[in-house]
Amino acid sequence: MDTKKIKHRGRFSQVFIYLGKLFRMFIFQNDWKVFPMAAVIAGLVCYVVGANLFVTQEGTMIGTFALACICIWNGFFNSIQVICRERPIVKREHRSGMHISSYITAHMIYQAFLCIGQTVITLIVCRITKVNIPTQGLITNIALLDIGITLFLITYCADMMALMVSAMVHMTTTAMTIMPFLLIFQLVFSGAFFPLGNGAAKFTDLTISKWGLTALCSQGDYNSKPMVTLWNAVAKLQNTEFNGQKPVAEFMRQAQESGLKEYILAWSGKQNQNPVYAFSADNVLGCWGYLLLFIFIYASIAVICLEFIDRDKR
Amino acid sequence: MDIMNFLDTGSTDLLDVTNMVKWLLSSLGHFMIFKKFGVRPIYAFFPVVREYNVSVCAGKEKEGRTFAVINAVEVLLAIPYYLLKDSNSSFFQLIEIAILAAILADVLYQIRIYSGLCQAFGRSKRWLWGWFFVDEWIAIIWGFGESFQPQKQVEKVDADAGVKVSGVNAQVTDSGLTVNISERTTIDFFRKMVLLKDIHLSIPEGHMVLLLGGSGAGKTTFVNAVTGYEKADASIMLKEQDLYRDYKKMKYDVGFVPQQDLMRGNDTVLRTLADAATLRMPSGVSIFARRKRVRDVLEEFGLAAISSSLVEKLSGGQRKRLSIAMEFISDPSLFILDEPDSGLDGVVARGLFEKLRSIADSGKIVIVITHTPDRVIDLFDDVIVLAKDASRTGRLAYYGPVKEAYEFFGKDSMEDILLSINQTDEGGEGRGDEFVEKYADRMLEADRKAG
Repeated sequence: MDTKKIKHRGRFSQVFIYLGKLFRMFIFQNDWKVFPMAAVIAGLVCYVVGANLFVTQEGTMIGTFALACICIWNGFFNSIQVICRERPIVKREHRSGMHISSYITAHMIYQAFLCIGQTVITLIVCRITKVNIPTQGLITNIALLDIGITLFLITYCADMMALMVSAMVHMTTTAMTIMPFLLIFQLVFSGAFFPLGNGAAKFTDLTISKWGLTALCSQGDYNSKPMVTLWNAVAKLQNTEFNGQKPVAEFMRQAQESGLKEYILAWSGKQNQNPVYAFSADNVLGCWGYLLLFIFIYASIAVICLEFIDRDKR
Repeated sequence: MDIMNFLDTGSTDLLDVTNMVKWLLSSLGHFMIFKKFGVRPIYAFFPVVREYNVSVCAGKEKEGRTFAVINAVEVLLAIPYYLLKDSNSSFFQLIEIAILAAILADVLYQIRIYSGLCQAFGRSKRWLWGWFFVDEWIAIIWGFGESFQPQKQVEKVDADAGVKVSGVNAQVTDSGLTVNISERTTIDFFRKMVLLKDIHLSIPEGHMVLLLGGSGAGKTTFVNAVTGYEKADASIMLKEQDLYRDYKKMKYDVGFVPQQDLMRGNDTVLRTLADAATLRMPSGVSIFARRKRVRDVLEEFGLAAISSSLVEKLSGGQRKRLSIAMEFISDPSLFILDEPDSGLDGVVARGLFEKLRSIADSGKIVIVITHTPDRVIDLFDDVIVLAKDASRTGRLAYYGPVKEAYEFFGKDSMEDILLSINQTDEGGEGRGDEFVEKYADRMLEADRKAG
């Protein structure tokens, strides 16, 4: 046969072959379970931290951190095993003419579908649990959509990181061993909760959690929120007696009645301004940019790693 | 253990005299130990190389690779450790953590490998304590002590011990497969290994060929070299076209069915085959022609009735037929199957081989690896026999008609032929070299006659 004149499916056409396979797996396999799982996790987190999310600075910080963690958790679980569990099949298909870039692109599209679904579910759960969603959008003028895009990018970025790991390792057990380390790295190096030295602080720039959390804090207008730490610290002293009286308790009662409390909380908040969380479109776009860059890097590494699949030992 | 010594003693000076003396003593001890095992003694003075060769002496070559890598990591980490030790930076702390992790792994591997060394010397494992805490002295005692002798030497594979090479190229045929493999080599942990050598044969179209060989004789390596999947120093011509040069196009003309049924269990039979058709068939084929081809192949392989079943619900025989159908869908000229009958009972296996015979009869070349050839040997035209020679290289011990093979080896079954070429430590007769030479002589003789 004259093979020189015969053409086979190109990269673009092959994407649809694998997309079809993945969506069939979604129905026949258990991939659909990621949606109810996302609802349960979001429900738990909103129940615990939802009341003060986007209400106070502390609540916003804790809440956005928890939201970012939900997204990272969802993203990791979506794809941590998807490639390594069928690695020998991928090797066989690569031998038969499959393009790795098509295979990864199909996964990227499919995972985007899962991540969008999980983001929508998370937002619905936030609504149901009456989380105080910001009203002013910075990019699209629809705050919910802005928050949704951020949550999607965090989830998708974590998903791509897990996809990269799945493409690098050979066994599902290895992938599941690595995953907790990645998760802990994301939590510890988010740059929000744990005080880090100058050297270690540089690592926060490499985490999805940092950019996701920063975008969410910016969108929630962190700097305009009242700060309750000072008031709570004073409240701890309200039972202190002085000459048979409780002056701190009395001061707090009067402050609450006169509206001074709100002033104190707002004043505390003003003293705790963090330019990193500035309520600006540039700030949010910058964070999105980093997340998109990470997505591109992770997907590229996944393709490069899988291109060497022929070297897998028998 | 040198890096550990440097770290364990708490000394901050790499050139600390005590450490240097310890290292020298340990190296001298290992020098003599290597000598006793027949390993090049000079390796004792090179970190990492020493660790690997200790593992080889201990009969734990595989673990030794990881052990050597761990030691290499320790050596690499030791450099920034000593450069930054006074800086107290967070980066230095990370290095310390990494070194700690490496040392933990190192200790575990030391226990494994030095317990193997105790066994190789026929000594109690209590010596491990000595190896652990005063390794330099134990190395000296074991190295220089006359009463410390290994129970066996490290097995040497002499790369030049290979038997006769015919070097007679097979003539390229216009319709069949011509294989001329000079050598197939690989680098395995810094060592060059010759996996295949001097394999020349020509298979006419319409032939069904049995590929016979013991474990490690290079059957899969041969198949991968022939299909162009792992290229060798070779010329592989399929119907006068160079498979290596035009691999990207010609790979669609070669069907390889792996031993395992590598298919997605949660997809249907029809979709699995349809996707295989889309992937493997030329893009110029219309959707109607492709669908017809899928239907025809489903019928041909007896899968039409279960086309809507999930792959994971199929029986072993059905799954195997689907796996073959996935490659057959593109109508390849060369069809190679790696143990298609594994896990199948005699009747189902016979049916499968009859199907392969009919594929060969339709003008294809079918090469089959199987470990139970005698039950279906009547269906084969030719047999390729691969054997490991003295240098552990896969060599061609015979290629030709099945009936002549019995005469050539003086045996009356394929399993007996296999037994005769297998190494003695594998329970065989260890006559691989004899038949490789006999076949090389036969090729040289035929070449001389042909002028």
